Amino acid sequence: MKRSKRFQVLEQRPVNQDGFVEEWPEVGLIAMGSPNDPKPSITVQNGKVVEMDGKKRADFDFIDRFIADYALDVEKAEEVMKIPSVELAKMLVDINIPRSQVVSCFGAMTPAKIVEVVEHLNVVEMMMAVQKMRARKTPSNQCHITNVKDHPALLAADAAEGAWRGFDEEETTVGVTRYAPFNALAILVGSQTGRGGVLTQCAVEEATELTLGMRGLTSYAETVSVYGTEQVFIDGDDTPWSKAFLASAYASRGLKMRFTSGTGSEVLMGYAEGKSMLYLEARCILVTKGAGVQGLQNGSISCIGVPGAVPSGIRAVLAENLITTALDLEVASGNDQTFSHSDIRRTARMLMQLLPGTDFIFSGYSAVPNYDNMFAGSNFDCEDFDDFLVLQRDLKVDGGLRPVKEEDVIRVRNKAAKALQAVFKELGLPPITDEEVEAVTYAHGSKDVPNRNVREDLKAAEEMMQRGITGLEVVKALAKNGFIDVAENLFQLLKQRVSGDYLHTSAIFDKNFKVLSAVNDLNDYQGPGTGYRLEGQRWEEIKKIPRAMKPDDF
Amino acid sequence: MIDEKRIEELVREAIRSLSISGKEVKSSYNPKQNVSLEDYPLGLKKPNLIKTATGKSLDELSLEGVLNGQVSKDDLKISPETLELQAQIAEQAGRVQVARNFRRAAELNVIPDERILQIYNALRPYRSTKQELLDIASELETKYNAVLNAAHVREAAEVYESRGVLRRE
Repeated sequence: MKRSKRFQVLEQRPVNQDGFVEEWPEVGLIAMGSPNDPKPSITVQNGKVVEMDGKKRADFDFIDRFIADYALDVEKAEEVMKIPSVELAKMLVDINIPRSQVVSCFGAMTPAKIVEVVEHLNVVEMMMAVQKMRARKTPSNQCHITNVKDHPALLAADAAEGAWRGFDEEETTVGVTRYAPFNALAILVGSQTGRGGVLTQCAVEEATELTLGMRGLTSYAETVSVYGTEQVFIDGDDTPWSKAFLASAYASRGLKMRFTSGTGSEVLMGYAEGKSMLYLEARCILVTKGAGVQGLQNGSISCIGVPGAVPSGIRAVLAENLITTALDLEVASGNDQTFSHSDIRRTARMLMQLLPGTDFIFSGYSAVPNYDNMFAGSNFDCEDFDDFLVLQRDLKVDGGLRPVKEEDVIRVRNKAAKALQAVFKELGLPPITDEEVEAVTYAHGSKDVPNRNVREDLKAAEEMMQRGITGLEVVKALAKNGFIDVAENLFQLLKQRVSGDYLHTSAIFDKNFKVLSAVNDLNDYQGPGTGYRLEGQRWEEIKKIPRAMKPDDF
Repeated sequence: MIDEKRIEELVREAIRSLSISGKEVKSSYNPKQNVSLEDYPLGLKKPNLIKTATGKSLDELSLEGVLNGQVSKDDLKISPETLELQAQIAEQAGRVQVARNFRRAAELNVIPDERILQIYNALRPYRSTKQELLDIASELETKYNAVLNAAHVREAAEVYESRGVLRRE
């Protein structure tokens, strides 16, 4: 065939490097509405669910059972299930119906019913619904702080910059597993240098993650995965009962935590049972609710390629965020993995959460170059900072970030690196040299910093755990070396676990360590003039991007 | 077709029942005082109600105290009583399940880190026999007075047996 020059040009467009697939319900490659999804139903006898979504109690798998016994409001379930789904869908977008009413209905619905309800909404309606249903009134953002070399000083500098730019939570993970204690320590010190009160976590295997939290080297946890089919849950090496126990273990130490799930994980792990991605995700969200966990990270997360490839997949991803909010859970709404070669597509995907605002629009935004992102990249990275700031300004929406000055960023990066240098020296860890401090202060990524002696680092990281180093030793090391303000911030952060206020739904801290959660900052959106409004000081801050010309310039 | 009015009635009723459905679970910790939503955040509004696991008050926790050795890492631990107060807050915010989680947490508070990690691992699939789980439940109950968690582990043993996720010998 003689080729069309236009088609040849189109072939070269980034979007045509993305993968797409037609719906294939048998293997679960369908976003929502699989012919194999169960029809909504419920029967309650003597306060117990004896039948749910067409399945008798005797045939329940452990997910069904956990949901039926712990997530559902059995007293109201039969009544709410009788309300036509389209009517419940209208409640989501009706500004005259307050959030609390919708929450009470969703708490009495089965997974199949929930999916049937949200299927009635188009994406604009879903965004309207998220705007009303997200738990915390004030939207926020989370970032990733990682690098290929697991370079501690670079992690500290990037964490400081991330905090300075406005992220309220920071998440790290490792290139080499045994680096975990150093990475947790580095972003802990860095974050509190950038802005006191920023929460940090280190995403590693569940038991290690809990240990780091107990030691005071992290302040919350998120990588606690739940799945929508029993087989995949087991393959993930957990059950709803082990995960619920883990949730209580975190709370017992005064540590905030959320679960993680996402559409597409069951397909990738090969046991979707022919169900739609959204149906399986609804089960995950209900398991989270039943466990009494305050929140959930979802929005496909590391499996975004799967819903991203099928029709209406990105709509389903928004739908899972929406369901999470409607069940009164905090949502950290994804956008946290490289999703598309197309800038147009990755922006459109992100707007679904940025425009309505969520508890954490990204979970996380890569505050490092994509080549340094050890979560396999993110949908937006540090090279997109200025685009993101302009989007906030263009649309007058709050994405959680603020314009910053180069000299301030250099200053906080340098201070964080020096603070970590002092901590390493004080704790007898392999030294961070002045050359390293200088390099990370001005670096863009790990390509700009010297290599470390990895073997020595790993040995010391292991010993640090054996010696039982806790956050309190870090506080002392900082104070002893003159970093009083950083020491004070870190101490305040540790002290917060005593009062437990930040265990509540959607909790974050402001720079004065005042907690902001869905208890004292509950979303009260009910149409224009209500809810979170971008105005006053915060809007002035967002307006003032450094490159905007002033009247005086003319 | 149910009309709008009927739906509104249903919803209102649902809300009413929600506020009273937190009845069943009470932990073994009974703080002298109860708290309400207006008391939140407790650290700010009711600091006098909060004691660390070691019995210190919030004012006693300062950076100076850390530096002169008066504050140790055990002084930075939440107490079961505080977790019960936070459970009350969650309950009043309509979050029944979150309240239950905080009450389970209150019971786990006194259990050493190492044992918590072991129990978590024992609850993972194919790790334990039914008897081993039942033994853990008894330990939770008798040694730590953790009745909610004991029930949780007992139920797990039963579910794991019926779903075939106990350790195979």
